[in-house]
Amino acid sequence: MQQSKPLISVSNLQVSVGDKPLLSNVSFDLNEGEMLCIVGESGAGKSTLVKALQGMMPGHCDRFTYAPSSTEVCGAIPAGLGLDQARWVMQDPLAALNPRQPLGRSIAESLHKEKLPKDQLRKRVLSALDDVELTADFYDRLPSQVSLGQAQRACLARALIAQPKLIFFDEPLSALDALVQKKIAQRMESLRRATTTTYIAVTHDLGFAAAYADKVLLLREGTVSAYQSRTAFFANPQSDYAKDLVAAAQSLGALPEAAA
Amino acid sequence: MAVLFGITLITFTISYFAPGDKAEAIAHARYPGDFGIAPEVLQGIREEFNLNAPFFSQYTHWLADVLRGDFGVSYSSRTSVWVIFVDNLGETVTLTLTSLAIGLAAAFLLSAVAVRYPNTIWDRGAVIISSIGAAMPSYWLALLLILGVSVYLGWLPAYGTGTFAHLILPAATLAFWVMASQTRLLRTFMLEAYDQPFIETLRLRGIPEREIFSRHVLRHSFVPALTMIGLDMASLLEGAIIVELTFSRSGLGSLLAGAVLSRDLPVVMFLVMFFATAYVVINSVIDGVQHLCDPRNIKKAKAS
Amino acid sequence: MSLSQSINLSDSHPADPLRQFTKRVGVATLVLLGLWSLAIWLTPYEPAAADFLNRLAPPSAAHWAGTDHLGRDIATRLLYGAGWSLGLSLAISLTGFVVGTVVGILAARSGPAGDFAVMRVTDSFFAFPELIAAVTFAGLFGPSTSNLVIALMVVSWMKFARLARALTLNLGESDFITQARLNVLSNGLILWRHLLPNILPSLLVLWTNSWSRTILSVSGLSFLGFGVQPPSAEWGAMLLDGKAYMQTAPHIMIFPGLAVLLAVMVINLTGDRLRDLMAGKT
Repeated sequence: MQQSKPLISVSNLQVSVGDKPLLSNVSFDLNEGEMLCIVGESGAGKSTLVKALQGMMPGHCDRFTYAPSSTEVCGAIPAGLGLDQARWVMQDPLAALNPRQPLGRSIAESLHKEKLPKDQLRKRVLSALDDVELTADFYDRLPSQVSLGQAQRACLARALIAQPKLIFFDEPLSALDALVQKKIAQRMESLRRATTTTYIAVTHDLGFAAAYADKVLLLREGTVSAYQSRTAFFANPQSDYAKDLVAAAQSLGALPEAAA
Repeated sequence: MAVLFGITLITFTISYFAPGDKAEAIAHARYPGDFGIAPEVLQGIREEFNLNAPFFSQYTHWLADVLRGDFGVSYSSRTSVWVIFVDNLGETVTLTLTSLAIGLAAAFLLSAVAVRYPNTIWDRGAVIISSIGAAMPSYWLALLLILGVSVYLGWLPAYGTGTFAHLILPAATLAFWVMASQTRLLRTFMLEAYDQPFIETLRLRGIPEREIFSRHVLRHSFVPALTMIGLDMASLLEGAIIVELTFSRSGLGSLLAGAVLSRDLPVVMFLVMFFATAYVVINSVIDGVQHLCDPRNIKKAKAS
Repeated sequence: MSLSQSINLSDSHPADPLRQFTKRVGVATLVLLGLWSLAIWLTPYEPAAADFLNRLAPPSAAHWAGTDHLGRDIATRLLYGAGWSLGLSLAISLTGFVVGTVVGILAARSGPAGDFAVMRVTDSFFAFPELIAAVTFAGLFGPSTSNLVIALMVVSWMKFARLARALTLNLGESDFITQARLNVLSNGLILWRHLLPNILPSLLVLWTNSWSRTILSVSGLSFLGFGVQPPSAEWGAMLLDGKAYMQTAPHIMIFPGLAVLLAVMVINLTGDRLRDLMAGKT
């Protein structure tokens, strides 16, 4: 379903630290409710892209728009923390949660800005836990007392509870094992459909992209190697590098079905 | 380094603010006897030693002297501070090295036995001894030793310096502390060495346990253990001072105590700076040694 | 059936071993304090009450630890001495703990220039071994309780500063702190909720260590004459008294030393247990 204006769009993003270019000429746009999968090898710049979009790394672009806060920027992306109504699920759930704080409070922190009364806050947290299929007794547990999958679900709950327009995912499944990966990926997908949230997911797992992405952006050493819709990317990859990657994934059996 | 500079500054500040009229102290040292000093003489001394100048001026003058190696003259004995220092250094070094040697040897033996036969009385005993040793006030142990060995048994002299017999009890006291703290560390190191994967490989190759232990485990824990000692240098020095004072031995400890009580500032300042600088230097050396040893250990492990 | 229902880690209400341990230690401390106060209230003797007819008496039913050279009851003096030896060292080490932690956190949170300056100052103080500083200070300014306390306080804060700084720097990079910042938590709240609870356990272990070392320093310096002066009932000062009567009345010097040993051992073991708990968790 095409919107008239994309939720987020970036044109010619460059990120350099010192004189070392980490990203150059990255462009994409994403409509509400879509999922963009940023794929590529380690060090290709995927995490850098996510950070730069949130103003956490020095980025410079021709044009950057972000609808929820009506932002339109040409030039340097203002340094700051995060985007309005956006949340970020990180790679290692145990690092992303305060080890000395119960999960419930960590999740509630996502709503800190809204300053809700205590009982309302608790209700929202319980509802968020339910969304990610965690029972209410997880409210009081410490991160060390739950499994990795459960901790990552808690991080997901923390992102969802704020009902954001955009969620960044940085390799959300790579710390988990296969069965759990599948469950959580399915949960993420059903939640996205239900709430029409926009996802930008960094992953090195092409299978995930093949299953859930609407658009695929392939990064290689800081430059865009391919930027296509999912069907186009897997049927007819834009670059030789992309072709090799897709072929390799296929031979490993990592892709669900190659075609639409 | 900035730290050394800071040391000199702090030392000088302490002596600057120390109570007691320095001019008087100098005067009494110069003209021994129990009579009052004429004000003109005091004035003259003040000018001679620059005591009327503001803080920073005095500090820079003093620092300049120190950097030239001139540490001044003791107030009480009128001999050069350096000479006094060297005279007393030997005793302290003897005590420290002896205790270190005995303590380390004992610690090595004890922890080797403890690790070799885990969960036996040796292992438990080693842990208990190191716990006690860490908590034991050394001056109390000293008193107990004096009571038992000198007073009741009459085997060894209790106080004073001079003969080898005089060294035994103090060295034993300090060595006990060394042994206790090092046993704990060594035991941990050896246990870690034992857990290394390459030990299992050796076992599978049929090498007897004894040989595994002596050739590989022991050797690998030796070097890291040595470097760990450096970290506890401060405690070792402190322990040496306490032991010296308790046994009334001559050495840097007694020198410091005496100088402090008699307000012999040049000696005090020098000793304080010496200890501080020695500590900093030793730590830097240990840091450097640690860096050198790490990759070497890894290489050794790969080779065997 | 959801995934979380098929994997059930713990049925009971989650127990945090760290918090349990802290509670137990707290209770034990209160009990000990209660017993100590009770003992002081119950003892028929005064710590300074001399009884020249009963000098140098060995332990007996009347005097559980015997009497010293002035006929004072040693057991009572031991009890009062706990207040001196343990109390003073507690005050000293706590001050060092608080001051050092504050300095360390400040150093870590200020820019590179501030950090450098603070750490150079810290390192300069670090170079002076505790005992030497205390002896010098107490000796120059006159041996007394207050000089001893000042001297020891001045040299006990640095290790806390170093550790607090390292931990804060380490933690500052953490993901969960980034998340908290993204959620617009104020710096103060981040400090209170996220930073402190995570650095305190390590600092507490260091503090138990510091407390026991300070006990040894306080009693040691008093024994050498540089600290608490007789007739105060501090354990080290009692040892000094006992030294002269070693031959005729050895019990005078045995009990105070034993008290120091036991106190330090208990504190050390508690600290060890705390450290083990933390290692087991993190």
